[in-house]
Amino acid sequence: MVAKESRPVFQLSASLGCQWKNIERAHEQTVTAEADLLALLQRDVGDKFASEDANLVVFGSLGRGEWIDWLSDLDWTLLVDGQCKPGHFQIAQDIRDALKTVYQTTANGNKEYRFAAPGPTGTFGNMGFSHQLIHLIGGQEDTNKNMTQRILLLLESLPVSAVNAHERVLKSIIQRYLEEEPHLIKSGQIRYKVPRFLLNDIVRFWRTMAVDFASKQRDRGGDGWGLRNAKLRMSRKLIFVSGLLTCFSCNLEEKLQAKISTDERDIKTARSKNLAHLQDHILQYVRQTPLDIVAIAVKEYGINAAIAEKLFSAYDEFLGLVGDPEKRARLKSLRAEASRTDPIFSEVRAFSGRFSEALDEMFFSNGQLGPLTRKYGVF
Amino acid sequence: MRPIGFSTGAVAYSHFQAALDLLAQTDATAVELSALRPAELKPLAEAAPTLQLDRYSHVSVHLPSSFNPDFEEEILSLAAQFPAQWLLVTHPDVIRKWDLWRRLGERICIENMDKRKPVGQSRRDLLAIFRQLPDATLCFDIGHAHQVDPTMGEAILILEEFTGRLRELHISEVNSESKHDLISLEAERSFEVVAQLIPKNVPVILESRVAAPDEQLSDIVFKRIEREIRVVRSLLNASVQVAAD
Repeated sequence: MVAKESRPVFQLSASLGCQWKNIERAHEQTVTAEADLLALLQRDVGDKFASEDANLVVFGSLGRGEWIDWLSDLDWTLLVDGQCKPGHFQIAQDIRDALKTVYQTTANGNKEYRFAAPGPTGTFGNMGFSHQLIHLIGGQEDTNKNMTQRILLLLESLPVSAVNAHERVLKSIIQRYLEEEPHLIKSGQIRYKVPRFLLNDIVRFWRTMAVDFASKQRDRGGDGWGLRNAKLRMSRKLIFVSGLLTCFSCNLEEKLQAKISTDERDIKTARSKNLAHLQDHILQYVRQTPLDIVAIAVKEYGINAAIAEKLFSAYDEFLGLVGDPEKRARLKSLRAEASRTDPIFSEVRAFSGRFSEALDEMFFSNGQLGPLTRKYGVF
Repeated sequence: MRPIGFSTGAVAYSHFQAALDLLAQTDATAVELSALRPAELKPLAEAAPTLQLDRYSHVSVHLPSSFNPDFEEEILSLAAQFPAQWLLVTHPDVIRKWDLWRRLGERICIENMDKRKPVGQSRRDLLAIFRQLPDATLCFDIGHAHQVDPTMGEAILILEEFTGRLRELHISEVNSESKHDLISLEAERSFEVVAQLIPKNVPVILESRVAAPDEQLSDIVFKRIEREIRVVRSLLNASVQVAAD
């Protein structure tokens, strides 16, 4: 995680004269947790648990810089990009075992893990391979799990220790999306198009999360409904928002347009150059956290300060609520049928409503984002 | 005509003279004298004045890729003995005393690195290195760039940024174990992506390992050399696709 001063979200809070204390706390806890996790793995698994071809990558709250110590789950994958070796399985197993060594015992004798195991879907907590992430985009074999891993790798992943495999896979995934575009540049203009293939996959991911929310409710008999609902309204929506903004930035960011090659003497090389610059642009964007991507958009597109404050304050409240052990526990046990009268869920409804209103303003009223939202985000 | 040739280390491991004898029978017009291991540098420096290299329009020396930092000044002292027009190809991660290297100016030809090295892989890495060595030149290793980023996006960014510094091109296939192999079809296609970004006069040095360390330098090795040179000529001379096509 980059230093606080370098993060656009904190530069924005300073310029607006706001203090988002829960976002700040989440940043600090992310920095500490990331360092502690690395130290733990180096101690228990070995100094070289990561290699050029296999990196440990974290997702979820740690990937987004929103870690809440002792409450967040740790979504992780040992991402393999290179020769497939039997030893990778043992390293993943050793990582899993190491994560279980840090725990505290509750009053009723249960163990609470600092780096708690990810959810039961099997999407995380094991090895992941680059080949299907890169080659299986769309089509029958692009499973829900594969698509989720791929989009989250783009939008909320953080490599722990070595970065080689992570960066290579990110570049290849981005290239796959871009090389399917018949034209990268708008007809008759010196301006990149919004990359539709990537955008459509991000939209698909968002809709899939919403559909899976209902599916999980059925599978799990309503357990965990309240917390999942709050996350869908806030953190999962934020991932989608950051993905949309990343795609729109390809068309809107002026510094990027200045790099477009229009050399008609060699259109193949011109396309390769344009693809390389667009790939690099998207890579630099997705290296940022979702909150930072939104903060960049606020600055770049001149989003009204009141809207920005409303958006980030709502998100700050969300982090405050899910970071409160008692409220989180209550939300976790809340079932859908009790949600309309539950005071904690009323808080969720209130800040998520403000968050949504601010996003509506940002995406539909802004002179730059509005036309793109209507063109690419609606029909 | 672009000079094309081989690294002596790729032809005959640790035996530059044997490699030069074989290369003299080919139509190679460039050569890189390999001293990748520190112990190879002194014999090469001592032999340099007597080497028959008139047939080559481009000559470079590949300095050791790894050595004890205590020997940095000695390495540089030996490097300075080579004729002034020979480039000194260097891995950036060996540099500790930047001011000593800076004195060699544009003769220091920084090579972009493979994925094993901690620095020198990306455009951003190289920008930082050239800030330290403002007169240094670039040896662009396509195989390394392809290994680090198989999409070749980084390769394009590097070539765009540093075209003015480009003095030598290394071509080979670098496999997942970071060994130099003969050029494969997949590598050929990747090289095609950047071929038009390389100025026509930049010399090419092939690093494809055409002989195993203990292999006799037979006719088979000679044919491998010819095949690799032919493949590269064809790749680099491909015609451009114009809008009117």
